[in-house]
Amino acid sequence: MLKLIAALLTRIEARLPLQFRVLHRQFLLRVIDLEALSIEADIPRFLGQFVGVLLMFSFIHTFAVYVAMVEVRHGLERYLISTMMLVAGLITVVSWDSIFPDKRDAMVLGPLPVRPRMILSAKVCASASLLGIALLALNTAPGFMTGLMLGQLHASFFGFFQVLAAYWTAMIGATLFLYCAVLTLQGVCALVLPRRLFLRVSAALQLGCFGLFIAVYFLEPSINTVPQLTSPENHALLAASPQYWFVGVFEQINGALPRELSWLAERAWIGLAIVIFGAAASLLLCYMRTMKKTVEAPDLVPGAGGLHWTPRLGGLRTAVAMFSLRSLMRSRQHRVAFAFFMAIVASIGVTCLRREIFSPGPEPIPSDFLISTLMMMSLSVLGLRAVFALPISLNANWVLRTTQLRTTGKYIAATRTTLLFGSVAPMLAVAALLALNYRSWLQVAGHLVMLALFGVLFVELALIQFDKVPFTCSYLPGKANVQIIFWGAVFVWIILGVLAGTYEFSALHSASKFAVMSGVLLAMICGVGTYNRMHARSAVLYFEEVEPAFVTKLGLMYIPPARASELSAK
Amino acid sequence: MLELQRVSKHYSGIPAVDDVSFCARPGEVTGYLGPNGSGKSTTMKMITGLIEMTSGRILFDGKPINADLIGYKRRMGYVPEEPHLYIHLTGVEYLTMVAQLRGLPARQSAERIDGMLRLLSLYDDRHASISGYSKGMRQKVLIAAALLHNPDLVLLDEPFSGLDVASALVLRSLIQQLATRGKTVLFSSHELDTVERISNRVVILHHGHVVADDSIERLRSLMELSSLEAIFSQLAVEQDSTAMASSIADLIDA
Repeated sequence: MLKLIAALLTRIEARLPLQFRVLHRQFLLRVIDLEALSIEADIPRFLGQFVGVLLMFSFIHTFAVYVAMVEVRHGLERYLISTMMLVAGLITVVSWDSIFPDKRDAMVLGPLPVRPRMILSAKVCASASLLGIALLALNTAPGFMTGLMLGQLHASFFGFFQVLAAYWTAMIGATLFLYCAVLTLQGVCALVLPRRLFLRVSAALQLGCFGLFIAVYFLEPSINTVPQLTSPENHALLAASPQYWFVGVFEQINGALPRELSWLAERAWIGLAIVIFGAAASLLLCYMRTMKKTVEAPDLVPGAGGLHWTPRLGGLRTAVAMFSLRSLMRSRQHRVAFAFFMAIVASIGVTCLRREIFSPGPEPIPSDFLISTLMMMSLSVLGLRAVFALPISLNANWVLRTTQLRTTGKYIAATRTTLLFGSVAPMLAVAALLALNYRSWLQVAGHLVMLALFGVLFVELALIQFDKVPFTCSYLPGKANVQIIFWGAVFVWIILGVLAGTYEFSALHSASKFAVMSGVLLAMICGVGTYNRMHARSAVLYFEEVEPAFVTKLGLMYIPPARASELSAK
Repeated sequence: MLELQRVSKHYSGIPAVDDVSFCARPGEVTGYLGPNGSGKSTTMKMITGLIEMTSGRILFDGKPINADLIGYKRRMGYVPEEPHLYIHLTGVEYLTMVAQLRGLPARQSAERIDGMLRLLSLYDDRHASISGYSKGMRQKVLIAAALLHNPDLVLLDEPFSGLDVASALVLRSLIQQLATRGKTVLFSSHELDTVERISNRVVILHHGHVVADDSIERLRSLMELSSLEAIFSQLAVEQDSTAMASSIADLIDA
């Protein structure tokens, strides 16, 4: 089957113009920053990892559909549509610049006899290919299962196909809606604003969109039944939520949409038409106008004035900390990767804040607050550590290598300082602010001490075998097994987080338990910290991830000629 | 003194640099010449410790550089062939980072950076991102970074690349001044005229082998040729350049 599809795609591709094929391939590869990858890395493996993660979610969704589709039908439909929109949103954010012509395109392709519309169509198709892969990977199994589960509610066998059509229309529509809405927004900004201002606004927009997608995904309430959907108090929420509009589309094609909810589907179709038209118009105009503007834009943009202060942490520590901070703030890819973690942290934080706002007055510190802040702390450290592993400009690493005048341990210590200042300290400040409504103050202080200890422990754990300067080592896809990390996070991290938070809750009410818990944490910090320091003594800073060397024994051995002739005679 | 003793570098068994030996003395400018692909940059990278040699020894002041690589790096300044920089940093941020990595005192490094930026005409754009710098400006940042710590050994790989005439003249004088002040300067360049003017001696590399290692005057008299260009053409240029140009013109005409 796969061979048949591959052959079909090859045939279709062969009929397309050569220019289009060449450009499409280039743009598809450029969604990934090739310069960030290890020389040992291969792109199909990287894409395979991406598809693998989506398939993992797809299997969870399939199971959820099997168990709960009939009972909480609308809620689950909204969840599936919402997840697809989130994935589409993430792809849109990650490939934010890939659809509009940048300076490189203008300089490289401008002098060549390539029409702007060819570049535009190749870029759109490259993005669509990636979205298509995501759509198929995430929805094939759940879509089929939805067909089976809801199809049985139809009178005839064709109900299965009707549900299948409804499912795919809703998913494709939702994906297109989100993608085109973002394109329209970008396109309008590119057309209205001067280029230099657009570049600055675009970076803020990208982060804003990212935060919005994650926050909506995690915070939007789920409405599961028709009476809830038709209730006037939910009208405003449904009217503002495209996810529910596409639930309307799903049910409309499935033939099960109540008349009083038909406005949801109408809103979806109208919205989709508007954003498709908006995206197409703004893209066309951009390609006609912006290519020239891009070339004309000056290279040297004056630096932002104001404060040029740097902390005094000691030469090397300051160098590593400031390099890390600046890389994180100025690199779009790194910001987006970090924003993924921060958006989850923000969602948890907003949930805590919401509870605090609606509470009538100061109240005792609840255990879920302890668990939430612990989760926020771990995610903050994990997020920073994860982006540290993504390089920024590998070919500039020579300067770090030729100026490496101190031992590896000093560099690891500098990274430790960066992690402490970049993730633990801000998260402690946030936790302290969120705890303002809780009493007693002693318990709040006790929790902050515990949180600080957890933070330091997470930092030490993050530094195990991390013998590199942040942002300087190439990335080798597949080295870290994403599936194992995911399941590890789900089963170990959450369970441990809940257990630790629950135990801390009792520790805050008992001096002896508090002493035991802080003692255990200190011991763990000392243990892992000592291991890291011992390891650093013999470690060598590395800048290139390489595959472990595999030696395959062929089982060959030397046979003396006499014995060989003896064996052959036998 | 920098001394290379029978240094070789092989990639998958193919020699990029083969059995290279020469000396660069303090107070002298040593020009390192060779056609593209002759192994100049590979040698430079081995001297900086960026890549390991397959065989041979590199000595600085009589000690193998690998015996105390950190101590050696403290005394070495390097301008690479390509202007690879962290382009998301500004000029002043990059230089400050290099100074901090080299452990220079904050006050001293701030003064030097400030002075360098002014002298190299980068001061007005010091807070602009390097991504917007021209090739020449990037080259100036590299030169400043290599000299910030007042190194004893200066390695310059194509240092004139991208520089305007005025900056190139400054750099040419600077190289001579550095040598006059007792530093060991090894620089590679394709600008034979510049090499001829400022070098005390030249090493010419061809196919990874040293084909000449002497002062320019001696090479001139030995080979009975009038200029370094003529010497270089005889030792390291295989093809007839006029015939090659005609072939290219014929090819595109056909």
